[in-house]
Amino acid sequence: MTRLTVNGSAVEIDAPPETPLLIALREHLGLTGSKYGCGAAMCGSCTVHLDGAATYACVTPIGDVEGADVRTIEGLSENGDHPVQLAWIAEQVPQCGYCQSGQIMRAAALLEENPRPSREEIIDAMSSNLCRCGTYVRIVKAVERAASEA
Amino acid sequence: MSNSAQLSVSRRAFLASAGATAGFAFAIGVDGLQRVANAGTAASSAKPNIWVSIAASGKIRIIYPATDLGQGSTTALPLMLAEELDANWSDVEVEQLNVDDRRYGNPKFGMVRYTAGSSAVQGYYMPLRLAGAQARSMLISAAAAHWAVPEDRLRTEPSAVVDHETGERLSYGEIAALPELATTRVPDASEALLKPTSDFRLIGADVARIDIPAKSRGAYQYGVDVRVPEMLYATVVRAPVEDETPISVDETGALAIPGVLRTVTLPDGVAVIAETQEAALFGKFALSIEWSETSSSRGNNSDQDLIDYAATAEDLSQDGAVWRETGDAGAAVGGADRQVERTYLSDYAYHAQFEPMGAVASVENDGASAEVWIASQTQSWSLRTVTETLGIDAEQVTLHMMPMGGSFGRRTELTQPYLRDALLTSKAVGRPVKVLWTREDDVKFGAYRPAAAQRMIAGLKAEGGLQGWRHRVAAPSVIAYFNPLRWAQVEPQDIITMRGAENKFYDLGDMRAEHLITDRRARLAPWRGIGAAYTSFAAEAFMDELAEEAGADPVEFRLALLKDNPRGRWLVERVLEMSDWKRARDGTALGLAFAGYGDSMAAGVAEISLDRESGVIAVKNFWTTVDAGVIVSPDNSLAQIEGGVVHGVGSALKERITIVDGEVQQNNFYDYEILRIDETPEIAVDIAQVDAPPTSIGEVSTPVVAPAIANAFFALTGRRLRHMPFTPERVLAALA
Ligand code: FES
Ligand code: FES
Repeated sequence: MTRLTVNGSAVEIDAPPETPLLIALREHLGLTGSKYGCGAAMCGSCTVHLDGAATYACVTPIGDVEGADVRTIEGLSENGDHPVQLAWIAEQVPQCGYCQSGQIMRAAALLEENPRPSREEIIDAMSSNLCRCGTYVRIVKAVERAASEA
Repeated sequence: MSNSAQLSVSRRAFLASAGATAGFAFAIGVDGLQRVANAGTAASSAKPNIWVSIAASGKIRIIYPATDLGQGSTTALPLMLAEELDANWSDVEVEQLNVDDRRYGNPKFGMVRYTAGSSAVQGYYMPLRLAGAQARSMLISAAAAHWAVPEDRLRTEPSAVVDHETGERLSYGEIAALPELATTRVPDASEALLKPTSDFRLIGADVARIDIPAKSRGAYQYGVDVRVPEMLYATVVRAPVEDETPISVDETGALAIPGVLRTVTLPDGVAVIAETQEAALFGKFALSIEWSETSSSRGNNSDQDLIDYAATAEDLSQDGAVWRETGDAGAAVGGADRQVERTYLSDYAYHAQFEPMGAVASVENDGASAEVWIASQTQSWSLRTVTETLGIDAEQVTLHMMPMGGSFGRRTELTQPYLRDALLTSKAVGRPVKVLWTREDDVKFGAYRPAAAQRMIAGLKAEGGLQGWRHRVAAPSVIAYFNPLRWAQVEPQDIITMRGAENKFYDLGDMRAEHLITDRRARLAPWRGIGAAYTSFAAEAFMDELAEEAGADPVEFRLALLKDNPRGRWLVERVLEMSDWKRARDGTALGLAFAGYGDSMAAGVAEISLDRESGVIAVKNFWTTVDAGVIVSPDNSLAQIEGGVVHGVGSALKERITIVDGEVQQNNFYDYEILRIDETPEIAVDIAQVDAPPTSIGEVSTPVVAPAIANAFFALTGRRLRHMPFTPERVLAALA
């Protein structure tokens, strides 16, 4: 039994300690907003905030993060109105959308740490996440917008 | 025949189909996209045709006949109907079509329920507008009957019929509740009912995509997100080489893992079924399987196979299946002052769609019926996979078409193994099963863009003009593999392998494009841009080489061939202007390409730099112009074109599947790299404003990218790149 705080609520997960946090979130807690893309820390579709830091949930065994504070896309804002989410809508970023929870969580963590990132800093931070639909042009614009409107 | 009868018949049909599909609809609202129950609007509603129903509440339900792979047609298709209906867009709800009902088929695909080839807006432009106009006309008739006034003095405003003489108005919802509706004739759907295009207020406007709010909240549900009560999980260890089968399975290790229930032997793999996803995953790695070693696919080696394909392309004694022919290209080239011949190669490429393959199936009554949740590009072939796998009729199947986390052609095949896995495992255990392929499964057991060798042959006149064009594509048939039923209808014409080689937007004079159909040496599928992803590379890289041989400027050489195509000329001239083509650069160089995709055209200019030590090409800028007729969704079209360029750069520079002794060598994104944000060029797009029916957008920008980069490389280095992708090793070899 692993105890975590997920989106502000205390939860217990009945799964072996080596279970990836991503599976615990998606299949045990039903928080399917975080996605499986590679399972290998290569794509960022699974990005969540672990004690505030953007983290690949797919390579994070739950046994290693007992007691941690986890935030997923579902808990990023009450009504989907986090500045990053609003910027994502304003710039019409998602295409298939599958990578976008991870992109948004990465961008939100970046702005938390660095509220006025330069274009280079945005590209540097966002290069941890892949998007096969090729929404990169709009991701940069949306992060810039979120930074300027937040 | 009385029209009330027609109405009630169609109303019953609607209720029946709503009951049978038991799916969900997307509802548009301020809150973005939500799921709503299917039965919601059937009670009191106007149902002028199979496409739309209008409830007394004012809600307008429009059927979405395609499937969502991220292309934005959940907005664009209903928008076309709403335009002609004169609907208030915020009243519209969009309902996913979950049945293989050919009445909703795309005319571009012989009415098969198939979402591919960037053809939905093009194919449905007329049917959906006609359906909207028919509905609008019917609502006007009902209002006229109610007010007892002539129809021709009534007008519509968004979601209302208005009598300008009396100032009276009835909302569409109010009309749906009128008793007169039952006796209102449904007019024939005719083009005479359509708006003049100058009156469009939705088509061509920047209407936000309905799916984006939910996709920005993590609330959009994809195939792999489905969870149903009592569901088990399965993973599959698949044969390392095509056609091998499991001979013996040691399941001791897997069964020792808590939660693992059993294994199921499949035709080409072994499934591990477990109570939890993690147990299914751990179980997969604990299986020990002995495979047969008899498959002839063990002889597949991608390097050697491509050499063989090239030999075929270059052996002029072999004739291929003619893809397009005008005049006598052989004689024209033979009689020319000079002949130029080049060979271009391209490797296998993997889709890398972000959602790995998977499905949920609930097979009931010992295989007599099934409910499935599947993310695929085709209701028709998903349904067929179920009926063929289980040997049951379509009536016994409940299908839920789920949105896809990308696809790019991956989920189009006639028989869908990921769905088959879910069906066979669910049948074996008598419970619903979710099958999920890992990324490694998807890379290794993917279905790829075919490797191709292309021999380009052209004649040049003494003064430098083109005299004869031959394009010989040596590659396997994609259709023969991914849809043998289709191949039986179209053989030997393979649009998936050959698209682009027709090169119809240039006036090439005597030309012949032919397909030398080689042995298939990998699993194959359509891929973004289909054949044009490599045929346009060969054609447009060759065009630059020809210009050089002719001592001509590559721009002027092309413009001469576009003299009768003013729309094409505009694209080239505009993209040159955007890129400031003539400006001298320091350390970078530009390359141009022009190519069609179906009935659409694009021009592109790449600006590249090169690290001569490492052989790494960086694409700094990409400018592109596109002509796709009337643009239904301008902003989304830009997004699709931007994405197509990103895809094209990755394909040109990095993406490569290799096969050794029948085994795919790549595993995951660490050895099959797609383009990252820090490698993405600045992208500028201009879309031609033309008054012509819409053509395709989603793939048109990909084919021009690789040749534009190759041509820029020549401008920068004086060397040619003729083997895609342009990996650092190949770049260094070209520089040596
Ligand atoms: S799924 Fe975690 S990084 Fe790809
Ligand atoms: S939007 Fe499809 S992978 Fe990013």
